[in-house]
Amino acid sequence: MTPQPTLRSLLQMARFTGGWSLAHALLWGVMNLSTLLPGLIVRSFFDALTGAAALPGGTSGIVVLLVALALGQAALWLVAGYVEIVFRFLASALLRRNLLGRLLARPGALALPYSIGETIGRFRDDVDVAEDTLDWTDEIVGQGVVALVAFAILLATDAGITLAVFGPLVVVAAVAQRCSAALGRYRAASSQAASDVSGALGDLLTAVETVRAAGAEERAVAHLRRLNERRRTLTVKDRLATRMLEAVTANLTGIGTGLIMLLAAGRLRDGGLTVGDFVLFVSYLGFVTDFVSELGQYLAQFRQATVAFGRLHGLIGDAPASALAAPAPLHLKGLLPAAAPAPKPRPEPLRDVAVSGLTYRHPATGRGIVGVDLSLERGTLTVVTGRVGAGKTTLLRTLLGLLPGESGEIRWNGALVADPAAFFAPPRAAYTAQAPRLFSDTLRQNLLLGLPDDPAVLASAIRGAMLDRDVAALADGLETAVGSRGVKLSGGQVQRAAAARMLARGADLMVIDDVSSALDLETERDLWRRLRDRSGATYLAVSHRPVALAQADQIVVLKDGRVEACGTLALLLATSAEMRALWHEADDDGALG
Amino acid sequence: MSAPTPPHRLNWRVPVRYLRPYRRQVLLLAAILAATIAVQLAAPLVASRFIDQATGGGPMETLVALAALTVALALLGQGIAVAETWVAERISWGATNALREDLAAHLLRLDAAFHHAHTPGELIERVDGDVGTLARFFSRFAVYVVGNAVLMVGVLGLLYAIDWRVGLGLTLFVATALATMLRLRVVATPFSAAERQAAADAYGFLGEYLAGLEDIRASGAGAFVLRRWAELTRRWLAAKIGAQMRGYSMVASSQGLFGLGMAFALALSAVLYRDGSLTIGAVFLVFRYAEMLRQPTEQIRNEVQDLQQAGASFGRIEGLLARQPHLTDGPGDRLPPGPLAVDLDGVWFGYQPGTPVLRGVTLHLPPHRVLGIVGRTGSGKTTLTRLLPRFYDPDAGVVCLGGVDLRTVSLAAVRSRLGLVTQEAQLFNASVRHNLTLFDDEVPDDRLVDVLESVGMGEWLRALPLGLDTTLGAGGGLSAGQTQVLACARLLLRDPDVVILDEPSSRLDPVTERLVHGALGRLLAGRTGIVVAHRLSTFAFADDILVLERGEVIEHGPRLDLAATPGSHYAAMLRLAAGDAAEVAR
Repeated sequence: MTPQPTLRSLLQMARFTGGWSLAHALLWGVMNLSTLLPGLIVRSFFDALTGAAALPGGTSGIVVLLVALALGQAALWLVAGYVEIVFRFLASALLRRNLLGRLLARPGALALPYSIGETIGRFRDDVDVAEDTLDWTDEIVGQGVVALVAFAILLATDAGITLAVFGPLVVVAAVAQRCSAALGRYRAASSQAASDVSGALGDLLTAVETVRAAGAEERAVAHLRRLNERRRTLTVKDRLATRMLEAVTANLTGIGTGLIMLLAAGRLRDGGLTVGDFVLFVSYLGFVTDFVSELGQYLAQFRQATVAFGRLHGLIGDAPASALAAPAPLHLKGLLPAAAPAPKPRPEPLRDVAVSGLTYRHPATGRGIVGVDLSLERGTLTVVTGRVGAGKTTLLRTLLGLLPGESGEIRWNGALVADPAAFFAPPRAAYTAQAPRLFSDTLRQNLLLGLPDDPAVLASAIRGAMLDRDVAALADGLETAVGSRGVKLSGGQVQRAAAARMLARGADLMVIDDVSSALDLETERDLWRRLRDRSGATYLAVSHRPVALAQADQIVVLKDGRVEACGTLALLLATSAEMRALWHEADDDGALG
Repeated sequence: MSAPTPPHRLNWRVPVRYLRPYRRQVLLLAAILAATIAVQLAAPLVASRFIDQATGGGPMETLVALAALTVALALLGQGIAVAETWVAERISWGATNALREDLAAHLLRLDAAFHHAHTPGELIERVDGDVGTLARFFSRFAVYVVGNAVLMVGVLGLLYAIDWRVGLGLTLFVATALATMLRLRVVATPFSAAERQAAADAYGFLGEYLAGLEDIRASGAGAFVLRRWAELTRRWLAAKIGAQMRGYSMVASSQGLFGLGMAFALALSAVLYRDGSLTIGAVFLVFRYAEMLRQPTEQIRNEVQDLQQAGASFGRIEGLLARQPHLTDGPGDRLPPGPLAVDLDGVWFGYQPGTPVLRGVTLHLPPHRVLGIVGRTGSGKTTLTRLLPRFYDPDAGVVCLGGVDLRTVSLAAVRSRLGLVTQEAQLFNASVRHNLTLFDDEVPDDRLVDVLESVGMGEWLRALPLGLDTTLGAGGGLSAGQTQVLACARLLLRDPDVVILDEPSSRLDPVTERLVHGALGRLLAGRTGIVVAHRLSTFAFADDILVLERGEVIEHGPRLDLAATPGSHYAAMLRLAAGDAAEVAR
C-alpha cells in the first residue's frame, strides 16, 4: 500500500495534539509578527532624529517602546517554548506509539523487514524528521504572513522601489526552487547509508561473543569503516547541495540591498525618501528574502519528511495509509493502561483442532509447508518431527498465525478460525519458541509479562517447567534480574523459563518448539512427565528426541514441507522409511558409549 | 550507563584527539572563516558611507559604485559559505567516523560482563546517537562558535572606533548576555544528560522487545509492552521538558538583553548625534552593528544548546572509553605452536561475588585429545568453555593452553588458536561470504564453497540468487538449524588448534547433525577439542569424559573406561538414554 500524502499525515498529527497545535500556531504567529515592530520603531527613531517627522514622545518615547518590546518578547519565548515542547512531543510520541502497536500486531515470527538496528534508526531519526516538519509547517505559514505584512508596509512607503526590487528576487527564488528538486535523491541515499551503519552496529554489538572468539574485531570494524565512509560521502553531498540552495536564496538579501541603494540614491538626495524609510527597507528586505530562503529550506524539509514517512511506512508495510498518525492513547497522564488484555469470558474449551491444507512458503527461499493436514484432540501430545528445513517450525508458526498462512483452514471445535493470529493467543493457545527471548527485567516479570501476579499459578508453572530447583538456587530467586536477552541464565534455564511463561498463561493448547535443545536427557524426561501430568492440557511439540517421541499420542513426520506420515510411533516405525531414518539416528543417542 | 563524573564541564580531550589528523583542513577552514567575517563587517560600512553621501548630496557615480560593491560582497560571501560547508562537513564526518570506529572497537574489547549489563540498543545510541551529536558539534562548532566569536569581537572593535562610549556600553551588554547564558548552560547540562538517558532507555527497550516479537505475540503480552512503553514515554516527556525549558530560558534572556542593548545603543547615538559627535550614517552603522551583535550571540547560544548535548555526549563517550576491560593482554605474544594441551588447575569462578559457578575445577587434557563435558543444565559446562577464550578470568586457580597461563599472553594470541561454536549462532546483515569469513576478504571463494559443501549446504548455496554475495541477516529465511550449520562452517574455515563446541548441534535434527558431525569429526582430528552437549551421540568423538555437577568435577576419565564401569555416572547416563530408546521400541 502506498503511503498517503505527507501533508495529510502532518494534519493527522496536528489534529491529534488538539489545542496544543492551535496554541502553537497562535503563539508563534504572534512571536513572528512582533519581529516586525522593531523595524517600524527604528524608522520613527531615525525620522525623529533627522527631523523628518515629529513624534509626541520624541526619541526617548521610542527607546521606552523598545525596552517594553524586549521584555514582552522574552516572556513570550518562555510560554511559546513550553507549548512547543509538549506539542512536538505529542506528535512524535503518537507516531512511535502507532509504529510499536503495529509491529506488535504483525505476525510475530515474520522477520522484521529490516534489522533491529535499522528499525530503531527509523523509530528515532525518521520520526524526528516528521516532528521537525510538523513544527515548521505552522511556523512557515506565520512567516509567510509576516513577509506579506512587511511587503505591504514597504509598498505603502515606496511602491516603485518595492516592486522594482522584489520583482527580480521572485525570479531568483523560482530558479532556486527548480534546483532544489535534486535534493530529495541525495537525502534518501544519505539516510539509507545512515541506516546501514546503525544496522551494522546493531549486528556487531549483538554478536560480540562471536566476533571476539573468532578474533575478527578488526575486520568487523573495517566493515563498519566501509559503511561509515559511504555514509560520509553521501551525507557531505547532501549537505553541500542543501547549502548551495541556501546560498542562492540568502544571496538575495545582499543583492536586494544593493538594488535598494541604487534606486533610493536619487530619492534620498532629494528628500523624497527619509533615512528612516531606507533603514526600514533594509530591515524588511530581510523578512521577505529570509522567507523565500526559509520556504526553500522548508520545502527541502518537506521532501525529507516524505522520504521519512515512506521509510516509516515501510516498517508497517501492509497497514492502511492512515495508520501511522491515527489517534491512539498515549497515557501521558492519569492511570497507566492495563498490562493484561481486558478479561474476556473464558472461551469454549478446546475439544479438537483440525487443520487442512495449511500452506506457507518463505518469500526469500520458497521453502515452507504445503498442504499440511493435522488434527489435535483434547488432552493429547502430538509431536512433529523431521529433518532440518522440513518445515516443523514453520508449521507451528503458521498454525498460530505467527506467519501469515497462504491457504488452508483451521477449525477450533469445528468452527472456522478466521484470524489465527488473534485467535491463537492466551487463553486459547500459548507457545514456547525454539530460541525463546527473555527481556532485561526480573525473572518474575519475564514469566508474568503483564499477567496478574498470582503466586499459585506462578508456582505451578515453575514446577511444571522444571524450573523450581533453578529458582531456589538463584540468590534473588524470582527477583533475579536476568540481564539483556536473559544472558545471566544458562541456555537451558532460558528455555525452561520460556516454558514456565507459557504454562503461566493457563492456555488450552500449548505449542512447544523443541524445548529440549538445551536440556540434558534426564531433565527433559522429567519435563515431559511433568507437562503430561497437567490434566486436560493439549500439546503440539516439535522434537526428535526419543523421550518426546515415546510419550506422543501421535507423531507427524514432515519432509520437504509436506506430511510424510502420521500416526503412533509403533505404526510409523513399521510403515515410514523417513521415520525409521530419523529414529535410527536418534536411537544412537543411547547406543553410543 | 552512568559516566564516572557528571559531565558539567566540557572535556576537550576527545575532540582534540580526533581533529588532530585534520590540522590542515582546520587551518583552511580558519582562513575561509576570516574571509567570511571580513565580508560581513564590510557590508554595513559601505551602507553607512552610502547614507552619508546620499544625504550630503554626494556624486551619483559614488552612490552607484557603493551599491555595486554591496552586491559584489553578497555574492562573494555566499560563495565562501559553500566552500566553508564542504570543508567543515568533511572534517566533521572524517573525525566522527574515526571516533565511531574506535568506540566500536573499544566495545568489542570490553569484558563479557559489560555486554551482559548493557543492551545493544543502548550501545547503538552511544556509538551512533551520541557520536551524531558530536558530528553536528564538529561541523558547526568551528563555523558558528569560533567564527561568530571572532565576528563579535570585530564588531565591538569597530564600535569602539566609532565612539568608545558606544563600544563600552555594548561590550557590557554582550558580556552580560554571554555570562548569563553560560551560567544557564552549566545549570542545564545535567538535565540534557537526563533527556538523552531517557531517550537511550526508550530505544534500548525497543531494541530488546522488537527482537522478541514472537515471544510477546505468543504470550499475549502486547498490552504489557504498550504499558511499559507508556511508562517510558511519560518519563521521556518529563525529562524533555526539564532540559528544553532551560534551553528556552536562554533564548528568552538573550532576547530580552539584546532588546535592551539596542534601546541603549539608540539612546546613546541620539545624544551623540545631537551634540555632533556622530553623522547620521554613523548612527546607522551603530544600529546595524548592534543588530549584528545579536545574530552571532544567538547563534552561539543555539550552538550552546548543541554544546550542552555535546558536553553530555562527551561525558558519556569519555566514560565509555575510560572503561578498561578487566582482562588485559599478558606480556607474551604467542603460545607454543601445534596442538595445545588444555589445563585447569583449581579454578573457581562466579559471575557475582559469593555465588561460584565453578568450584575448584581441575582438569588436564593432552594435545590431540577430545574431552566431552556432561552435566545437568546449570552445572557450569558453558561457563567452563568461556574461560578458555579468556572471556573471563578465574577468581582463583589457573587456566593454561599449551602449559601457558592465559593471563601471560595476549588475548589475540589465545583467540587466534581457538575456535568456538556457541548454542545460538549470530548472523550479520551482510553477504554469505562475510558471514562465513567474518569480513575477511582474503579467503578464496572455492574454499568457502568447499566448506559449505562439506557441511551439506552446497545445494542451499547454489539456490541463492547471488551465491556468496547474497545478503543474509534479518529476514534471510535461514532456520535455526541452518544458522548453526553456517556457524560450524565458519569454524571449519578458521582451522584452529583448539576447538570448543558448546552444544553446536542442539538445534539440529539427527540427520543434519550427523552431516555436521562428519565435518566436525574431520576438524577435531589432530586437534585438541572440548565438546559440551546433552546428546550423548555428540560424544562419539570424545576420548575423555568429564562429568560436572554444581560446578564440581565428579568424574573424569577415558570415555570407554567410564562406559564400561557399571558404577560410573556416565554409565548411568548411557543406561538412561538406552532405556528410553528401549522403552519406546517395545
